[in-house]
Amino acid sequence: MSEDSQLKMASAVAVVEETEDYSFLPLIHDIIKCMDKENQDVHQELNRLRARIQEAREQISAMPGIDASPSAQQQRLQTLRDQVRTKNQLLHKYKGLCMFDIPKPS
Amino acid sequence: MAAGERSTKEKLLSALSDMEVLSRELIEMLALSRTQKLPQPGEDTQVLELLVQRDKEFQELMQTAVEQGRIHQEMQQLEKEAEKRDSDIQLLQKQLKEAEHILATAVYQAKEKLKSIEKARKGSISSEEIIKYAHRISASNAVCAPLNWVPGDPRRPYPTDLEMRSGMLGHMSNLPTNGVNGHLPGDALAAGRLPDVLTPQYPWQSDVSMGMLPPHHGNDFGLEPPGHNKENEDDVEAMSTDSSSSSSDSD
Repeated sequence: MSEDSQLKMASAVAVVEETEDYSFLPLIHDIIKCMDKENQDVHQELNRLRARIQEAREQISAMPGIDASPSAQQQRLQTLRDQVRTKNQLLHKYKGLCMFDIPKPS
Repeated sequence: MAAGERSTKEKLLSALSDMEVLSRELIEMLALSRTQKLPQPGEDTQVLELLVQRDKEFQELMQTAVEQGRIHQEMQQLEKEAEKRDSDIQLLQKQLKEAEHILATAVYQAKEKLKSIEKARKGSISSEEIIKYAHRISASNAVCAPLNWVPGDPRRPYPTDLEMRSGMLGHMSNLPTNGVNGHLPGDALAAGRLPDVLTPQYPWQSDVSMGMLPPHHGNDFGLEPPGHNKENEDDVEAMSTDSSSSSSDSD
């Protein structure tokens, strides 16, 4: 791998690490470094990457609320808010409707 | 959901698969170039750029997914709130139905009462007239025995035969009202106006004629009035017993 590629990848990794914890680039970077150094830990690093990908798949499957697109979810959220608001208004209206004035005992 | 718009989960899994393929390809490419010592300038850079791009997309999608998780939580809270409002509305509806039922009953009863008030107004009778009538029916001892009543007293502490005939029961049985014109049974009996079958025999008469009767013979009357039942029988028996005891006391 050329020097500029490695530099580019390192900078990308740095940028990603500042913001996210879901990046796979650090692991890939470690694998490439091991390959460059002809380190025997490369297989271990490869297994780590594989395990991390599998873990990410399971995590994605278990994440709630991602079965819909963000726009559809927003639409559903807005509908729910409207429903709750309408029901609150109805309750408020009916509770304040036709109230009988109870005469105070003299 | 708009048609063709993929869910965040599908996008995430797709991005993850892409990254897996790209990383494998990159590693294989690097390993191959190392073993063959053949530099392949440009190609690995392209794969690397693609990998970085897909990784960036994956992170953005993960951020979106986390945000969607928060929205999902909010939606669950909203759904719970909506369910609670639904139950509140149903409870309120039930209470309103009950109130409607109570009010309808009250309105019906009030209307009935107004009708009866109107009816009473149309056929109003003065209180003086009622008091006069009360005096009249009590003057003949039809409702209550006189205070100084003793066995043998012809004033009967119950309606006379004439009053019975002129009453509602008499009208229902079509009994003639002019058969007897005496107000007091003693008078009627004395004048012999009652037929023999209707002539009662009273304990005090038995007392006079036959002497004191045993209590179980106290109901041995010649006249069995219509509607004579066990209760009347008990009353008569009690009266007979009282009269007998009174007679014995007087003796």
